[in-house]
Amino acid sequence: MPFVDQIVRCGSLSVVGLGKNTGKTECLRYVIKRLSEMQKVVAVTSIGVDGERTDQVTHTAKPDIFLDRGMYFTTAASYYLEKRFDAEICHVGEHTTVLGKMVTARALERGKMILAGPSDTVSLREWIMQIPKRFHVDVCLVDGAISRLSPASPVVTASMVLATGAAYSPHMKTLVEKTRYVYDTICLPRAPEDLVKKLEGITNGVRAVTPQGDVTEPIAGQALLSEQVRQVLEKCGDRLYVPGVVSNILLKALGERKNASETELYIRDFTRIFAEPRVFYTFLRKGGRIFQLYKTNLLAVCVNPVSPDGVRLDSGQLVDKIQQAIEVPVYDIKRMEK
Amino acid sequence: MTFARYSERIEGLHYLAGKMELSGSRVRRYLMQELFCTSQKVLESNLDIVQNALELLNDKRFNNGIMQLRHLFTQVHDIRGTLDALRENRVLDEVELFEIKYFAALCRDFITLLGTLGFKHENLQSLQKTFDLLDPVGNGMVSFHLYDAYSQALSQARKLAKGIDPEKETDRWNDARDRIREEELAVMKRLSSELSPMHIVLQDNFDRIARLEIWFAKAALAKRYGMVRPRIATGPDRFVFQAEGMINPVIADTLKSVNRVFQPVSISLESGPCLLTGANMSGKTVVLKTLALIQALAQFSFFVPARSASIPLVKDVFLVIGDKQDQYRGLSSFAAEMLELDRIMARIRGGNKVLVLADEPARTTNPAEGAAILCALVEFLDRHKTMSLISTHYGDLGLSCRKLRVSGFDSTQVKGRLDPLMMNQHMNYSLIEEKEESVPMEALHIARLLGVDETFIQSAQQYVKNTKK
Repeated sequence: MPFVDQIVRCGSLSVVGLGKNTGKTECLRYVIKRLSEMQKVVAVTSIGVDGERTDQVTHTAKPDIFLDRGMYFTTAASYYLEKRFDAEICHVGEHTTVLGKMVTARALERGKMILAGPSDTVSLREWIMQIPKRFHVDVCLVDGAISRLSPASPVVTASMVLATGAAYSPHMKTLVEKTRYVYDTICLPRAPEDLVKKLEGITNGVRAVTPQGDVTEPIAGQALLSEQVRQVLEKCGDRLYVPGVVSNILLKALGERKNASETELYIRDFTRIFAEPRVFYTFLRKGGRIFQLYKTNLLAVCVNPVSPDGVRLDSGQLVDKIQQAIEVPVYDIKRMEK
Repeated sequence: MTFARYSERIEGLHYLAGKMELSGSRVRRYLMQELFCTSQKVLESNLDIVQNALELLNDKRFNNGIMQLRHLFTQVHDIRGTLDALRENRVLDEVELFEIKYFAALCRDFITLLGTLGFKHENLQSLQKTFDLLDPVGNGMVSFHLYDAYSQALSQARKLAKGIDPEKETDRWNDARDRIREEELAVMKRLSSELSPMHIVLQDNFDRIARLEIWFAKAALAKRYGMVRPRIATGPDRFVFQAEGMINPVIADTLKSVNRVFQPVSISLESGPCLLTGANMSGKTVVLKTLALIQALAQFSFFVPARSASIPLVKDVFLVIGDKQDQYRGLSSFAAEMLELDRIMARIRGGNKVLVLADEPARTTNPAEGAAILCALVEFLDRHKTMSLISTHYGDLGLSCRKLRVSGFDSTQVKGRLDPLMMNQHMNYSLIEEKEESVPMEALHIARLLGVDETFIQSAQQYVKNTKK
């Protein structure tokens, strides 16, 4: 499969599932397998959510990740110490979390393990930068999550694979639409370099960007409640920067403004948008524009036509339909493995 | 008393601590716990270390080594939890054993590097034995796992598990894994008990590395601010504070950011009180704060921001600025100041040699009583020969103590209205001996230059004349 070569070129990849059982783990497993066939040394971690053994997004138990001999992995000490295979510790982080210090180890045999790695964007970026420096690692993999509960954004990796499937929606049409929506948010353009420099250090408070390109003091802490949104609309002018969550009501209100076509909305990355597709597309159709400070390179979309509650979509048809809607390669991993 | 306590009291200490190149809160904690030193012998030997470190920092030949040293400092992790576990004879887990091995390897790097640099203080003890214990295969790597070499039983249990497919024979595999777990635990127990006696050396090295980093950070701070080694006053001069060209780094930095320079000030103080007078905005408070800072820095084994300095050792430094309102206890600034002076006087009565720096004491009450309180304070300090500098605006107090005056304001240079922010360009901050009883009467003059309404000033002048009559 071509996208594995691209992963090697990018050096880091996050695999992000649109929902539970959309095949993220299979996808990750597949990537790991292909990379080890190519003799590449891989390091893997998962975006951790402090203190929780279950996935915060789906409330299911975090799945084990299969690790091959020679692979590096990073997880919290309390998970590491429960391992049922042989591995050697190569590095222990300075900071202690609820689950203990971050341990980076190398698998000495095949095994599986719950991974709970860095839980915020800064430490995740640090991980991606440090691991190849410390060890001879070719590719860093991140088991990602899109969640407003997770402060860590998978966008810090140089590339991304999206996993979607019948579990996300049992109706093919809806599934295609929903997937296309996420795809469109991922493809939102990157903000101009000078603005990125000005905004990336600002992580709180909704702010206006003046026509001269200056960033104002916060005009609201956030824009989640209608009162806050009203306040934002009053003061933001044509360009605004929302470092946190872009809520449905904010985007809706922006789309309903008279000057919607002049509006430029700056966000940190696509994972911060929590709006209904209809609201998102209305805003864009009216001429509004959204820019992200961080943009990732989407390499492929993987589909899982089967859901655990028995829905089985036609694999070929599903791949075709999604492929028509988006412009990156679409694969059914299970079918390819056969 | 600790550095942490002093940095709450003496302005500038906290600021300078923040400017020190320390790798993290682990080392900062050590700095905060350093004690105010009153032993000349200890201070001299400490200052030798800082000087030695500074020489290395200034020697281009060692640039590379110093960079490596800084890198090594950042590699040290806070392993207090692990060291505690070792001391309490707890069984260390794999992660903790790794931390010990990693630390032992770091110590080896430190010993080699400090040897190359020729730095002979805070000598670390070799932890080769510790490292060897955690490297049974002898490959020298810092990574760690419970090696087969530790136990034949463990090795066999692992071999057995390898032959079982966990998917097909899950129960058998689980049994085999449990067996491995047991053997691993036995190995961890054994290693922990063998490591336990080494905890004293480990802890000692851990402390020394933090102190090493502080020595070098003190030297780097001295380099950055052009600080000098203070001479500890001895012999007949042992009660004389003498500083040439003092700088206040906090204010110097603020001025630097607007392209202005701090005018260095020289001063000499002896036993007993000295009054400091000067116009408004003439920097009296800055002199007091700088003196306090220099005294405290010297007794915490720092170099000091001056061209040269001779520092007498004191038991304590008191800086009474009088703007502390203890609102939680419902005290006004006057009450807080009086209670603070009372505490200080109690210390002095107890026979302690201290340095007192007070900024316009009793200024917040009526001038008649305020002046009386000031006179009584000066008399007390004189009786106890307490080295002290007290700024005041009160004149004609009839006190015979020594007086210093800030040279003051040179209005001949001012053209038109004076920008308050440019005031310091027309101010001569140097200190001169004052023989007169009166204090400089420049307040109205300055107010006029600042552009305050003329009729108001004339009215005030009339009152001055009336009072004099």
